[in-house]
Amino acid sequence: MKRLPVLVFFLGPLAWQVLTSFWPEPELTRALPHALTVANYAGLGTTFARAVLNSLLVAAGTTALCLAVGASAAFAVAKLEFRGRSLLFGGALAISMFPPIATVSPLYLVLRAAGLRDTLAGLILPYATFALPLTLWLLTSFFRDLPDELYRAARVDGCTPWQAFVHVFLPLSWPALATSAILVFIFSWNELLYALSFISTPSKRTIPVAIALFAGEHVEPWGQIAAASVVATVPLAFLTLFFQRRIVAGLTAGAVKE
Amino acid sequence: MKRHLLVLVACLACARQGREAQPPGPVTIVLEHQPLWGDPAAFHASLERFQQENPGVVVRTQTLPNASDVAREMFLTALEGGADDFDVFAIDVVWAPEFARAGWLADLTSAFPPERLRAQYLASTIEAVTLDGKIYAVPWFLDVGLLYYRTDLVPRAPKTYAELQSFARAAMARNPGLAGYLWQGRQYEGLNCNVFEAIWGHGGDLLRDGRIALDTDAARAGLGFLREAIASGLSPRSVVASAEEETRRAFQDGRAVFLRNWPYVWAEVQKPGSPVRGKVGFAPLPSETGAPGPGTLGGWQLAVNAHSPPWRRRAAEKLVAFLTSGEAAVELALRYSRIPARRAVYDDPRVREGAPFIAALLPVALAARPRPVTPYYALASDSIQGELSGAVAGLRSPADALSRAQRIVDHLESR
Amino acid sequence: MKARSQAALLAAPAMAILAGVAVLPVLAAIWLSLHRSILVFHEERFIGIANFRFLFSDGRFWSALGTTAYFTAVAVAAELLIGLPVAMLLQRGGGFFRAAILLPWAIPTAVSARMWAWLFNADYGLLHRLLPGVDWLGSPRTALHAAILVDVWKTTPFVALILLAGLSAIPGDVVKAARVDGARPARIFFSITLPLLRPAILLALLFRSLDAFRVFDAIYVLTEGGPANATETLSIYAYKTLLRSGDFGYGSALSVATFACVLGIGLVFLRFLGRER
Repeated sequence: MKRLPVLVFFLGPLAWQVLTSFWPEPELTRALPHALTVANYAGLGTTFARAVLNSLLVAAGTTALCLAVGASAAFAVAKLEFRGRSLLFGGALAISMFPPIATVSPLYLVLRAAGLRDTLAGLILPYATFALPLTLWLLTSFFRDLPDELYRAARVDGCTPWQAFVHVFLPLSWPALATSAILVFIFSWNELLYALSFISTPSKRTIPVAIALFAGEHVEPWGQIAAASVVATVPLAFLTLFFQRRIVAGLTAGAVKE
Repeated sequence: MKRHLLVLVACLACARQGREAQPPGPVTIVLEHQPLWGDPAAFHASLERFQQENPGVVVRTQTLPNASDVAREMFLTALEGGADDFDVFAIDVVWAPEFARAGWLADLTSAFPPERLRAQYLASTIEAVTLDGKIYAVPWFLDVGLLYYRTDLVPRAPKTYAELQSFARAAMARNPGLAGYLWQGRQYEGLNCNVFEAIWGHGGDLLRDGRIALDTDAARAGLGFLREAIASGLSPRSVVASAEEETRRAFQDGRAVFLRNWPYVWAEVQKPGSPVRGKVGFAPLPSETGAPGPGTLGGWQLAVNAHSPPWRRRAAEKLVAFLTSGEAAVELALRYSRIPARRAVYDDPRVREGAPFIAALLPVALAARPRPVTPYYALASDSIQGELSGAVAGLRSPADALSRAQRIVDHLESR
Repeated sequence: MKARSQAALLAAPAMAILAGVAVLPVLAAIWLSLHRSILVFHEERFIGIANFRFLFSDGRFWSALGTTAYFTAVAVAAELLIGLPVAMLLQRGGGFFRAAILLPWAIPTAVSARMWAWLFNADYGLLHRLLPGVDWLGSPRTALHAAILVDVWKTTPFVALILLAGLSAIPGDVVKAARVDGARPARIFFSITLPLLRPAILLALLFRSLDAFRVFDAIYVLTEGGPANATETLSIYAYKTLLRSGDFGYGSALSVATFACVLGIGLVFLRFLGRER
């Protein structure tokens, strides 16, 4: 019973948004619509579908890069005697604290010189960078909690540290990886500033940019914007539904260990 | 500093930074513009015609974001980075002095002599593209602030502020719950437009000897009028948080007597299903004296990228001339409801017949005035918004707000 | 020896990415803050710390700092107070419930801010119909709290997630034993659960404070910092200075100042967290 107010608070505005997306445009000023329509969805067009695809590509790429890089670094910090650990940690955290707005112009020049401006790869790199600290934190604490005997046993068996990492530790860390994955994915999905500044070709735009640019020069089609945001949310909803099992499993693994 | 940075990373990309000679084959120029609301087929057909008339030139288009702020930031980042992947681009009317001073716009004076432009276009539109006597962009189409009124609630359009108030109050007395005068009071560029119109309507000028002048009697009167409108209940409190769309929807719902907004509203209120369809009229804004009050000049102009290499620039200038020709302007008016900057288009019989609203807009268009045409306006605009918002929200007196704004502007201009 | 170099190799990609993509632009921004750099006038003069000297006497900066601090304090406190009960519900909830709770946080902020802007609309918003007479976005005080509400709505799920991790780490037997001993639920909560939850709470406080201090989207979409700059935070001030006015020198200085504040907050929390270990 306690769940109901919580659900209403968190899902209420979303439900209203879904309702707005089916609301006929001329009736938006009324208290409730007289009829529902799918015109707002029909008006979205293929450009928005393209934006959804771009967002998926960028988010998937960012997640893959961030996890690959983050997991190996976290392993080095947690299990191997890595000397630069506080530098890596502190540096990553400090970098992510810097207001992104001030780095737009210099980063633009860097990407342009590297030939990555107006490419999706040019977005993946900065995104992975800003998502790295949280990933490092999560994965490092997870690896730290795994017993050192596992590593020592693997080394005794003749594994190199890399083999120990890939064959022993990685398979055990699916829960933590899943948690990090969904965090990075959502961050990348939501990011607006860099996507707006570095991508100029309309066919390469991501969802936040597409929605931000939905407005006409003066007219703001609230119904269509609502429809676009619903379409943008649906993949995330499925991902959340799918991953939440693993996340909770990862989080409760600690409890079992006691 | 940026040059140092470029040198640093030049090792990565020496090959890409070379100056190219004109490559063989057709010259491809890129046009960046917002989506023209309506069927793009006609526009593409006209571009086809251009390419036929100019063999050896290929035109590619790219769409810009609609929101002016967003487009400006994109251009700021791109042009500062020396982008040359587009040749002709549409710029908002307020960017011209700023971009010209930054050296991002090619000087078009030789291709478009000022005297010829002044003869063909509305004076205010040419004023907005001239910096130090040189032409940096050609007006494409314009936007202008105007007054909408309910023909079933008031006898005619008010000519003076006094009439505006008395007409509104009479209508409000007959219909309780009605709002008198809706305008945009949120803290954004639109607020500047509204306040400037009130200042101009009270006989003020915003530029004195090329410098922005806000601390004047007319300014205090104008800003005071807007503040009084809210305080006295002529305008509802919600205008302080309203931009164009909020006020448009309220007016379209039949809940207001007067609305200050842009011409796009006309098509919206005349749509079938609109509660005020057939009951709306439009006119220039009122003023103290009864002469047509100036409306803020908006709209877009075509400029040529200064970074484009010379052979593309020549083709780009030809494209600009083509797109801003009289015929093109008529087509823009008929098919895309774009208000022309060329004087003759208003009298064109095709426009009179096919787009009567535009033809009838001539008095309003003639009364248009640009915001201060100085590169410092872009720098100061944001601070001005903040101060004006303080007066409109009732946090400060208009005199206070204006003197503070003047101090900030002076500080910026003296640097 | 070999392990060390292998360790370095494993960590190398991370360091390379950080160095190339993040460190360079950050250093560039810090370098810019020492210049007078107005984009449009192509002014670029080294002026040392003059920008920062101006910053200390800039009323708008201090007002923005105050607004930002207030926003952070209230938002984070609310998120913790709401997040803890939600975390407890998540512990027992089913998959659908969990996914539903996470949804607000998954939506792009720009989208959810627009959604709330529509709800807050002074003429047509649902909230206006439910609670008429409140001028949500037009009055400075209510506008800031409206933005706080949007932020709380969006990120409480994230806080709840972290707290859930903390809750799951609490050994179940301790709680069971206490209950068997007859202790009341409130007593159990305050004496056992809460203290054991301290690391998770501090972690949540850390990440949320860092983010809340840099809030941009929620406020920008709702009020753009108005009315009269009353809801302007440091990020919005920096954004306007950088991209609207084209004053790259002072805008970078504002960003550096924000960075210093955020760094300060981070260090304070890390010290608290360090004591935990």
